[in-house]
Amino acid sequence: MFFIHDLERTINLHPSFLGPNIANYLKDQLIADVEGTNTGNYYIICVIETTKEPSGRVIPGSGITEYIVPYKALVWKPFKGETLDGVVTSVVQNGCFVEVGPLTCFISRQSIPSDLKFDGNATPPQFTDNAGQIIERGTHIRVKLVGIRTEVGQMFAVATIKEDYLGPLDM
Amino acid sequence: MASLANQDFGSESEDDDFNPAPAIDSDDERDIKPEDEETSQKPRSEPASRAVREEEYEDEDDDKPPDVNGSGSKAKTNGEGDVEADGEEDGDGDGEGAGGGEDEDEDEEDDEDEDDDDEEDDVQGGHRRKRRKRDPRNQFIDVEAEVDDEDEDVDEDEEGEAVGDFLADTHPDDLNDLPPGADKDDRRHRELDRQRELQASLDAEKQAALLKERYGRNRAAATDAAIMPQRLLLPSVDDPTIWGVRCKPGKEREIVYAIMKRIEDRQNTREPLAITAAFERGGTMAGYIYVEAKKQADVMTACDGVSFLYPRTKMVLIPIGEMPDLLRVNKSKQLEPGAYVRIKRGKYQGDLAQVEDVETNGLEVSVRLVPRLDYGQNEDANASTEKRKRPGFGGGNPAANRPPPRLFSEQEAKRKHGKFLQQVVHLGKKQFTYINDTYIDGFLIKDMKLQHLITEDVNPTLEEVTRFAAREEDGVENLDLTALAATLKAAGANAEYLPGDMVEVYQGEQRGVTGKAISVHGDIVKLTVTEGDLQGQIIEAPVKGLRKKFNEGDHVKVVGASKYHDEVGMIVKIRDDRVTLLTDSNNQEITVFSKDLREATDAGGPTGTSKYDLYDLVQLDAATVACVIKVDRESLRVLDQTGSVRSLLPSNISNKIEKRRNAVATDRDGSEIRVDDTIKEQGGFGERKQGQVLHIHRNFLFALSRTQTENAGVFVVRTANVLTVAAKGGRVNNAGPDLTKMNPMRNNGTQNGGQQMPPPKTFGRDKLLGRTVTIRKGPHKGLLGIVKDTTDSEARVELHTKSKTVNVPKEALLVKDPITGQTIDSWKLGGGRGKPSDMGRTPYGGRTPSAQSGWQGNGGRTPMAAANGGRTPAWNGAGGRTPAWNGGGSGGGGGGGSWASGGRTPAAGGRVGEGGKTPAWGGAGAGDRTVNPYDGSRTAYGGNTSNSAWASSKTPYSSSAGFSGSRTPAWNAGSSNSSTSHHDSGSRTPAHTPYASAPTPSWGPPPSSTSTSNAAASQPTPKPYDAPTPAPGGYSAPTPGAYTAPTPGASGGGYSAPTPGASGGYNAPTPGAYAAPTPGSGGLGATPGAWAAETPGAGEDDDPRYE
Repeated sequence: MFFIHDLERTINLHPSFLGPNIANYLKDQLIADVEGTNTGNYYIICVIETTKEPSGRVIPGSGITEYIVPYKALVWKPFKGETLDGVVTSVVQNGCFVEVGPLTCFISRQSIPSDLKFDGNATPPQFTDNAGQIIERGTHIRVKLVGIRTEVGQMFAVATIKEDYLGPLDM
Repeated sequence: MASLANQDFGSESEDDDFNPAPAIDSDDERDIKPEDEETSQKPRSEPASRAVREEEYEDEDDDKPPDVNGSGSKAKTNGEGDVEADGEEDGDGDGEGAGGGEDEDEDEEDDEDEDDDDEEDDVQGGHRRKRRKRDPRNQFIDVEAEVDDEDEDVDEDEEGEAVGDFLADTHPDDLNDLPPGADKDDRRHRELDRQRELQASLDAEKQAALLKERYGRNRAAATDAAIMPQRLLLPSVDDPTIWGVRCKPGKEREIVYAIMKRIEDRQNTREPLAITAAFERGGTMAGYIYVEAKKQADVMTACDGVSFLYPRTKMVLIPIGEMPDLLRVNKSKQLEPGAYVRIKRGKYQGDLAQVEDVETNGLEVSVRLVPRLDYGQNEDANASTEKRKRPGFGGGNPAANRPPPRLFSEQEAKRKHGKFLQQVVHLGKKQFTYINDTYIDGFLIKDMKLQHLITEDVNPTLEEVTRFAAREEDGVENLDLTALAATLKAAGANAEYLPGDMVEVYQGEQRGVTGKAISVHGDIVKLTVTEGDLQGQIIEAPVKGLRKKFNEGDHVKVVGASKYHDEVGMIVKIRDDRVTLLTDSNNQEITVFSKDLREATDAGGPTGTSKYDLYDLVQLDAATVACVIKVDRESLRVLDQTGSVRSLLPSNISNKIEKRRNAVATDRDGSEIRVDDTIKEQGGFGERKQGQVLHIHRNFLFALSRTQTENAGVFVVRTANVLTVAAKGGRVNNAGPDLTKMNPMRNNGTQNGGQQMPPPKTFGRDKLLGRTVTIRKGPHKGLLGIVKDTTDSEARVELHTKSKTVNVPKEALLVKDPITGQTIDSWKLGGGRGKPSDMGRTPYGGRTPSAQSGWQGNGGRTPMAAANGGRTPAWNGAGGRTPAWNGGGSGGGGGGGSWASGGRTPAAGGRVGEGGKTPAWGGAGAGDRTVNPYDGSRTAYGGNTSNSAWASSKTPYSSSAGFSGSRTPAWNAGSSNSSTSHHDSGSRTPAHTPYASAPTPSWGPPPSSTSTSNAAASQPTPKPYDAPTPAPGGYSAPTPGAYTAPTPGASGGGYSAPTPGASGGYNAPTPGAYAAPTPGSGGLGATPGAWAAETPGAGEDDDPRYE
């Protein structure tokens, strides 16, 4: 789910940046630092605005200037039980991997309806019920998250398509 | 029945006792009458007499009967007869086991009779009974014979009615002989019979109850047990005591059996054992058995003579309080087939065994072992038996020199021990008998006593279990989940639940309840119900009915002891208590029991004790490296550089290769690959894998692909077969920001390209040519020669020693003075002349000294100027001014103007043209000429002036500063306007110096003031401003000037003394930059100091220059 989230980031600037363009530097730095990162709980999709002109503080001893920059960001946090659309990136014997934006989900074979059978001989390998439903690399698919594993800077999810209205999407 | 017997035996006993012809008896049936007559006759008399005797007897007894009879319930109605009957019954009772001890008053004779009767009875009892029924006379006779006539007198009242009956059956003659109570007697007996019969048949239950009530010892207690609180059943002082008796350890059970047998043996004897119980406590109290009895003497009787039991040693009286403890039952663990045990001793000591079968008595177990056989390999045919036996005798550990466990091999056994080997096909299974042992499927099947097995804390390791698992037909999985779980259940039982675990009750009343465990005490788990009607309540549930509850998607860790120990993963499926999870480490699906799982709080793969981690790069041998793709408890799986996967023990790994973050490789297109870059396989067949580089080792890359499940996603490729798809952004090696990119100042600087000016080229003849040089390194090191020819980097040197010309790098040459042999350093500089540092310094040095020396002594300077002349060509780059300069230089005092122009113009000149700096000079601004002349004059002055003059000249300068702007400006202005002022300024020649420092702040202040006050200066003023500003500008200008301009100068200087030239160029800015402030700050007084300061600087510089 997407949120607009108020966040803060501490940026350290070298003294040589101090000057009229400092605000730009800060913003550039902020964007470079946080956009597209994963905090472990959510992804920061983009920085919408910096909410306040920050004032810096020179750190004694180093000459580095520390700015605490508050900003608003668009973030995406996947939830357990959330239904999402993604693209299948690979199909293996015991399931398939789906990318939902930056998040990689695994759909276990246990979570795939039993009428979808694995066919390893097809190229590329696929799950199919021989009746039109095919899950192969590149298939657009609707999944429901059943579990999310978060690590620092990384997220991984387990999803299911063993429910109504889930599974490959007709494009 | 007893009475019947009595009747019989009456006649019988008579026969036996009195009838000399026993045959008569057997003829009873045929000649019943006469015989009867006779027999009855005889007995009659006999019993009569006996009866008399007995009467007397009875009389004696009469004292007793009341109390004796009192105990019998029918005593009142039956009177004496009953007593007798009881007595007889008693006799019979021995056989029936119902003997009552109450009738102690039997006659001895009776006893005898009875004994006889019993014997008879045994022989022909059944037959006789029938006959009796048929023939009442016999009855009569018998009764009579036996009759204990004692009754007759006693119950007179009943006689009357009995007579009728009696008469009907009895011969009238007999009546006379009969004692008065005889008829009655019979009737009574029959009555009693009937009664008994009734009792026995109809009322068996009642009777049993009655008997029990009468004889059952603990009847009351037993019936009330259900209601009675347990504590009231605890032993008291009135209860029998328990004695502990020493015995041989291990023989306890045997002894108890022996005692039991003894009890049985003596049960029906006169002295049955008076103990109430005997038991043993097995392993916990080895060496003792316990006997319960009222008296210690009874214990002694029971124990005396039992083998291995030592009742003579001190017996222990168990205190009452400890009795219950002694009898507390510990449920012994039930061994089940499939469970694992260990062998306590022998060849297989400590080995893991699997239970095949358990005998019903629970004492013998058939186990499956991995045999340790050497098949006679180590047998020494020549060795004496004694020798071979020694280890056994020596008491050495048989486990020490045993062969390693291996499955039984038919081939090996046949090789040397074929004679011991037998093959049997048993139930379709092949099995072998080899030296008295049975082998099935390679395993040894052995019957062992339970006491030789360790059943607790078996803790089989993975390796051991896999040995058994290998042969499991259902596959490893099955084994893991059932047998192993069963074995390990007990071990992990305590730690199974922890507070905070989500648990579900799946057994018992509370089935279906889920909750969170709060506390665990022994086998009871307290939990708060989280769902349903009971929500919020705290209930207790026994562990055995609980299982852990998880939900799909939960992140869990395997904590149970299975081969998946420590694996972490996410649950994908749950069925009952079997949970399927997808491991984090390699995306495998594994199925384990929920009891073996625990919620994983944090991420992270198995955190085993292994010192190697997943994805570590390890060195297997000198030529092989591998990447760890799985870390098990005791083994590792690695993918080596050839792409093959192997399992190893950590000990097989020589070391771990630390990740080299800086390692670089090139891909097939030559772009660099670093760790963490994303690469894609190119060429080859099939899928082009893409992954992130984990390790770079020589030309192998270990990369990780998240979408690959095998090998934990790791694959290995050659660097030449991949393309870098995406380099990891921002390869920042140091943490600091990239200043060159971000800082605009720096950017500009780079654009100016100040530092990047190529070293000046030297044209013309290489100065090395013809020089005498020594060679500093290489094979010809130390040799002297003459340079014959050169290229950019090399020189051909003709050696003095032998006529040979060699090519030597120029750096390896040292120029020597051909005559003195001194090393000429400047030649060495030739190579390094482009170095900025050199340039920088040389010019400074050159100039300052030049100036200084110039100031100090004209003579000194002039030659320098001359030297400059030499240098001039070098200055070409600098522009036309150089010549001017030179001219000036050469002109010395005379051509001051030119000199100045030369000196300054270039410095300021370029700028001047462009900006206001030159104007800053004011004079300069007005006209270069003017200024120049000034300068020139100044120079001249300088030339003319002594140092003191300088000082003086300086003074005005300072004074001008001090005066106020007006003066200074005046000065400036003067420079621009009037020659006089020029002169002043000229006099101030220091201006020259200042001029050098002109741009410097020193100037700044004066002009600033100037600007305000000086009208004339007005124009100049801004210029000065500009000038100073340029001074800042000057910074940029001069500074680069300093660096760039001088460079050539330097180079020039480097070669020939010319330094001054350079100095000229530099002087202006350099001092400006550096020295100027000093005067500025110094204001007036400081000036001389400043000068002084400069001088030494000059001095310093001089030295190198003259070298």
